[in-house]
Amino acid sequence: MQRAPLGALFCEFLKVSLFGFGGGIVMAHRAAVEQRQWLTEGEFADILTLTQLMPGPNVVGVAVCVGTRTRGLAGALAAFAGFVLVPGALGFALALMWLGRTDIPLVANVLRGVGPAAAGLMIGTGLRLLRPHRGDARTVVVAMLAFAGLALARFPLLLVLAILAPLSIAATLYQREAAR
Amino acid sequence: MNPAGRLTLYLALMSSISFGGIPSVLPDIRHFVVVANPWLTERDFADFFALAQTIPGPNMILMMSLVGWKVAGFTGALTSAGATALPPCAMYVAAYRLLDRWRDAAWQKIARASLAPLTFGLIVAGGTVMAETADKTVAAAAITAVAAVYVLATRRNPLWMIGAAGLLGAIGLV
Repeated sequence: MQRAPLGALFCEFLKVSLFGFGGGIVMAHRAAVEQRQWLTEGEFADILTLTQLMPGPNVVGVAVCVGTRTRGLAGALAAFAGFVLVPGALGFALALMWLGRTDIPLVANVLRGVGPAAAGLMIGTGLRLLRPHRGDARTVVVAMLAFAGLALARFPLLLVLAILAPLSIAATLYQREAAR
Repeated sequence: MNPAGRLTLYLALMSSISFGGIPSVLPDIRHFVVVANPWLTERDFADFFALAQTIPGPNMILMMSLVGWKVAGFTGALTSAGATALPPCAMYVAAYRLLDRWRDAAWQKIARASLAPLTFGLIVAGGTVMAETADKTVAAAAITAVAAVYVLATRRNPLWMIGAAGLLGAIGLV
């Protein structure tokens, strides 16, 4: 773990927030793990797991947890300020200006291209997090079941978690016993 | 209690139970501000949603600040944004500190090994659901596929991909 400067936390999460386009996880991973190396791949996966399983705006959770990990409460506040406060204030001002003239064709066209790319980046990031575990049948099967339950069967998230979390824990315990 | 206070309390409650993100409680919030209280029209709510999607930054927090603004001006905007963001953030930090304290406990290793695969599946599913709404054309589906491979095969900045896709959209190819 690296001790991150508060200013760098603020700036990185400001960038992630402004350029994340709905896929903030992709940019946050790139900034915190690959470029700044504040966390390892595994520590980042821990944070993702925690925030995905808790209520609230998940990506904001990633920002405050990375801040907490690297600089404690001050880090959480710096990441929050960069990720939420500044873009929120700018966005609010912009929104008030735009209200009433939302149908600008060029903007709509650009968004038609950006939306599919953002979705693909998110799919790729999930697969990339899974890649180091591809030799482990249990991990791959649970990930595929979670994907199928949400994306294919369209079950509610809470139902998917309530069914798969106990199953996955049982499989982990069984795997450990078998390895002994 | 005045409308701003009631809205703030309600949003604080909703954000605290919004498993899967704020969009999961959006139907309830819509009911509260459009049907149960005469604060917004159906059209206002839809416009705020669409507008928040086009502006960079945390868009659900922005959307709730617009709802609050409509109900009670700038005070409403501030308290609504706070009620959406702060309770979950306090929970994230508290939970993360607890996890960190018992990082090496046996139960945590088991929990981590068991729950991480769920997260991977959830993220891929999230991208897939977004793709289903975004990919209306073959070109759009191709962009999604290329973007996924781009992340898997390169370590380049994702912004290049976003920029290229935006350009293709701007010249009318998507």
